[in-house]
Amino acid sequence: MGFGFALGVFGGLILAHAAYATIQYRGMLKIVEEEFSGPPMNVVVELLLGLALCMWAGLAAPTKFLSILPDSDENRIVSLPTNLDFMIFNHRGRVFPSSDAELKLKSKS
Amino acid sequence: MVGAAEEARLRRLESQVENGGGGAWEYLCLVRKLKLRRSDQVLRHGLALLNDPRARSKLGGEEWTLYEQVAIAAMDCQKLDVAKDCIATLSKQFPSSGRVGRLEAMMHEARGAWAEAERAYALLLENNPFDQITQKRRVAMAKAQGNISAAVDYLNKYLEIFMADHDAWRELAEIYVSLQMYKQAAFCYEELILAQPTVPLYHLAYAEVLYTMGGLENLQTAKKYYALTIELTGGKNTRALYGVCLCSAAISQLTKGRNKEEKEGSELQSLAVEALTKDYKKRAPAKVPLLTNMLRNMKLTS
Repeated sequence: MGFGFALGVFGGLILAHAAYATIQYRGMLKIVEEEFSGPPMNVVVELLLGLALCMWAGLAAPTKFLSILPDSDENRIVSLPTNLDFMIFNHRGRVFPSSDAELKLKSKS
Repeated sequence: MVGAAEEARLRRLESQVENGGGGAWEYLCLVRKLKLRRSDQVLRHGLALLNDPRARSKLGGEEWTLYEQVAIAAMDCQKLDVAKDCIATLSKQFPSSGRVGRLEAMMHEARGAWAEAERAYALLLENNPFDQITQKRRVAMAKAQGNISAAVDYLNKYLEIFMADHDAWRELAEIYVSLQMYKQAAFCYEELILAQPTVPLYHLAYAEVLYTMGGLENLQTAKKYYALTIELTGGKNTRALYGVCLCSAAISQLTKGRNKEEKEGSELQSLAVEALTKDYKKRAPAKVPLLTNMLRNMKLTS
């Protein structure tokens, strides 16, 4: 996680530097009065590198990937929930009340 | 649906809470989310939370949900005075609320005052005729009184209106199974499979109903559904593995003279036997002889 996050920060810095370099390049073009034909090589390389690093960080930094397979150990359904909407109260609990009798809701004061 | 990971988390939390390690609120939330019936634990730990003013004020608005949960748990444990206190607190907070009215009606149910409960539910339904939970409570009440045929009638009427309610379909299927009306139960499970095709337990229950009905065709279909259950659970469902074995044995007994389809069936069955033996060796080595004995009796292994 730490490594991926550091890579992400580095990638972000590279992207920022690419932006800065582009602005500088445009300023230089204005001085020498040339037409803008395309970004310089170092900016393109920086952009590609930043993209790759940020992508890496996006995949590695947040958390582990979760399984989407229905039969994987995390997703495997082992039991159905009790059908609580149809819960009925006349069961053995009436004859065998739970042991501790001192349960009591204290009134709110 | 309760997944394997969630079940493990619940077990851990439960033992932690039981041994006084805290995390009671988290446990109660998980119980509510997974819709489990742990009334005894919910009553004890929920009441402890409610009786502690500091813990209660930390819950904020969730406090009222907890009151409701504890009230229902108390009714389930027949601690009627606790339930009464909880409901009184709730009705003071939310006067003339339908949800609290339902709790009061459930209280009548827990006391066994069926007539009063019936009247209360009828009143609630008058105000809100499409209240699903209240309608389901009436079904449950018929069941609690032992009037199963009325429960079936109510459920059928309910399902004509709310066809997408799979809990109700499941309840109807279980009632039919308890009445040994397997054809109708099979229909309900078919509906459930259509509604939620990724839940292996419905496939398993359907296969079991088919197996119980018997007959060559049903057995072959049952075997297919058992196989599907195995696929959806990654072979971790022992019941489905047994089902495949039993179906194969029954089918081979029925088709003793003519062995046309012997080939394709025998592979599945031997794989199931293998998986079962492996599972038993890993988890219960003492019971392996029992298993091999039984399989030999069914003539599945030599």
